[in-house]
Amino acid sequence: MQLYDRLFPPKTYTLSNGKSVSEKRSRAPLVWLVMICFTAISVRITGFNFGVLFRRGSFFFVMLGDMFPPDFAYMENVWKPLWDTIKMSLLGSAFGALICIPFAILSSTNLVRNRLVTTIFKFLFSLVRTLPTLVAALIATYIFGLGTLAGTVAITVFTFAYCGKILYENLEQADMGPYEALEALGCRGITCINHAIFPQVLPTYLSTVLFCFEGNVRYASILGYVGAGGLGIILNEKIGWREYGKVGMILLALFAAVVAIESLSQYLRSKLT
Amino acid sequence: MGNHAPLRKVIPSLSAKADTNSGAIMIEFRHVGKVYPNGTIGLKEVNLKIKDGEFIAIIGRSGAGKSTLIRAINKMHAVTSGELLVDDVDVSKLEGKSLRRLRRKIGMIFQSFNLVTRTTVIKNVLTGFVPDLPWWRSLLGVYPQSCKVKALEALDKVGILDKAYIRVDQLSGGQQQRVALARTLAQNPKVILADEPVAALDPVTAKQVMDDFKRINEEMGITVLINIHHVELALEYAHRVIGIRSGVIIYDGPSEKVDQKVLDSIYGPAQKEADHAAV
Amino acid sequence: MQLTVAEQLSHEPKYWRRELATILVVLALLVWSSSAVEMQQNAGNGFSVAGGIFRGIFHPTASLLFGTGKNGVAYLLLETMCIAFLGTLVGAVFAIPISFLSAFNIVPKWIGIIGRVFIMAVRTIPAFVYGLMFIMVTGPGPFAGLLTMSLCSVGMLSKMFIEAIEDLDKGILESLDAQGCTFFQKIKYGIFPQLLPSFASTLIYRFDMNLRDATVLGLVGAGGIGAPLIFAMASYRWNDVGAILVGLIILVLVVEWISGKLRSKLMRG
Repeated sequence: MQLYDRLFPPKTYTLSNGKSVSEKRSRAPLVWLVMICFTAISVRITGFNFGVLFRRGSFFFVMLGDMFPPDFAYMENVWKPLWDTIKMSLLGSAFGALICIPFAILSSTNLVRNRLVTTIFKFLFSLVRTLPTLVAALIATYIFGLGTLAGTVAITVFTFAYCGKILYENLEQADMGPYEALEALGCRGITCINHAIFPQVLPTYLSTVLFCFEGNVRYASILGYVGAGGLGIILNEKIGWREYGKVGMILLALFAAVVAIESLSQYLRSKLT
Repeated sequence: MGNHAPLRKVIPSLSAKADTNSGAIMIEFRHVGKVYPNGTIGLKEVNLKIKDGEFIAIIGRSGAGKSTLIRAINKMHAVTSGELLVDDVDVSKLEGKSLRRLRRKIGMIFQSFNLVTRTTVIKNVLTGFVPDLPWWRSLLGVYPQSCKVKALEALDKVGILDKAYIRVDQLSGGQQQRVALARTLAQNPKVILADEPVAALDPVTAKQVMDDFKRINEEMGITVLINIHHVELALEYAHRVIGIRSGVIIYDGPSEKVDQKVLDSIYGPAQKEADHAAV
Repeated sequence: MQLTVAEQLSHEPKYWRRELATILVVLALLVWSSSAVEMQQNAGNGFSVAGGIFRGIFHPTASLLFGTGKNGVAYLLLETMCIAFLGTLVGAVFAIPISFLSAFNIVPKWIGIIGRVFIMAVRTIPAFVYGLMFIMVTGPGPFAGLLTMSLCSVGMLSKMFIEAIEDLDKGILESLDAQGCTFFQKIKYGIFPQLLPSFASTLIYRFDMNLRDATVLGLVGAGGIGAPLIFAMASYRWNDVGAILVGLIILVLVVEWISGKLRSKLMRG
């Protein structure tokens, strides 16, 4: 930025009473330039092509149209995978949320004095978060075999990273006053955390876990694509067979489930705060 | 301040306190010094003897070392030289379990109350019992009946029994400080250290809280050390005043003998300037 | 009449029934959920697989990791980044009008609700469904991936845009009105400056996430790093897997760091 200011020196205004004010040149041209460059490069590399879009774009809507009306008769086969998806997310979210607690505590600089320990655990969270859920699911299918266990593990890992980060961010901002008071009356560190810090972060933590669970239900449906159980498996099959009516049914069922769960979750979350 | 029961009649176990150990030395500072890692001197050559049952006010400017002095007693701040004896045990040598056991006997009151505001009054007082409970009770927050009774009695002592099941953040400042006081009483301490307990309260409430301290000191025989920057309150309530300046004890004597000359030596000429400016 | 300790004790609110019920419900849900857990019999060699991947990460195939050809990790990561970048932009192009149509302070409530339902429907459809559909349109490759990403982004972008729009300070518009500005001037000077930092921050955040999700696309054949990953895993070439994972992790960490800095700069101005 200093280089920029040297190349384009700030503009100086002289007021009528003799004072002069200098205003730095706007960064906007630089930002525009950078954006246009990236866009150009990206278009080149990805092969973005308006022409193709216009010519073949309608095909997308044709497929979409085929999905409605959905094949209601197929609903019978949808139930089990649907429940599987929900169960996977429930279990995975619960485990992830529980396991992240001790790790989050160890990452909080106000609860653990040792800087090295907190840095290591924070880095651990970052590392786990970089792993896309689907990649984790893929790896999980190799380790645990195909099926819902792999999916549950993948969701656990994702929830662990997501809830963990938010939890340690909240822990670090918690009021340490009551903690100090409990320390002064003779409690050990863990007890102080339990009685003084947790009541403060609990509502936000539960809210985060519920929110994560909402998202996980949608993720779980994708995991089936790599064979990790749930709706993804039949979805993938039916698309492959071009049975769009059935695809539509699956999507409709998923949509209904997601709406129901999200409403329930939002209701519970509003009661927490 | 209201409807609290007279202490001795209701809780015979606690009234026995007042008769034991009066006159014995509770806290002793011997050549205590504290130097911070960045070189600042917190305390210098502090020598003090504090007897059981005394009511002492510590006065001085901000940053003079009042907080450091008080927090050294329960090792919230560690001293770097000298010996600090509490009940004949050198605090600076204590760690872990033995330190926690010592802290059980020392109660601490803070300027900002330090309560868990989202929970109820009684839950806050009950935390005073936590170190003595088995781990599972502490983890789940399941307290035995006897603890609940003692907690309610402590609340009664400070006059807010009727607020027991109300959330702390719905109380006024004075009431919150009383909850903190009740929490400390639940510990059954021998000493209460108070770090600017009334600084955040209005003058009327401040007096009520100071009255509470006085009652606790007189009726239960608990030694009270208060950090206070409000000199008039200090002189009105304390028997003995300790004046500290830049980490050194400037004055240590009865409150009646504190005159303007003494105050000047503790607070320095700036006090005079402030007085001149006000005139 | 004075309250006594004994009386107050009897007044203790009995929360334990409600708490116990909640705990039982949660436990029941968890037990019910575990009935879905199934795994195949070949879990035995799971540990050898885990070990293989672990070792592979520490001995990545250097040629793959540092290779410059179209198969090299570097090029693929670049491709993934471009997919994420354009996908976010195109997603924004779709999301902005939809968000305005769903904000309750701009349009009447019934239109807003339709808008939100639409967004939710778009969000529910899993990414790979879009992926497969777009492949039918554009053929396999990064273009399909880009389009998939844009639709996937619409969900989150719209949600955050709507929040920013509904937070708009109408007061500024009022004062511009009082000064006699036209409709378009009000938008340019009243609305844009408020929304821009928020929008930009949201876009950067979504770009970050798209980068991670873009690896998914490779799995459906829509470009990016997912395809080589799945091939390498299928052939048990752990060192190649390691190379890809290492490159991916480094890229995400770097981008996250940069985007974090950019976003805090935007927020603080």
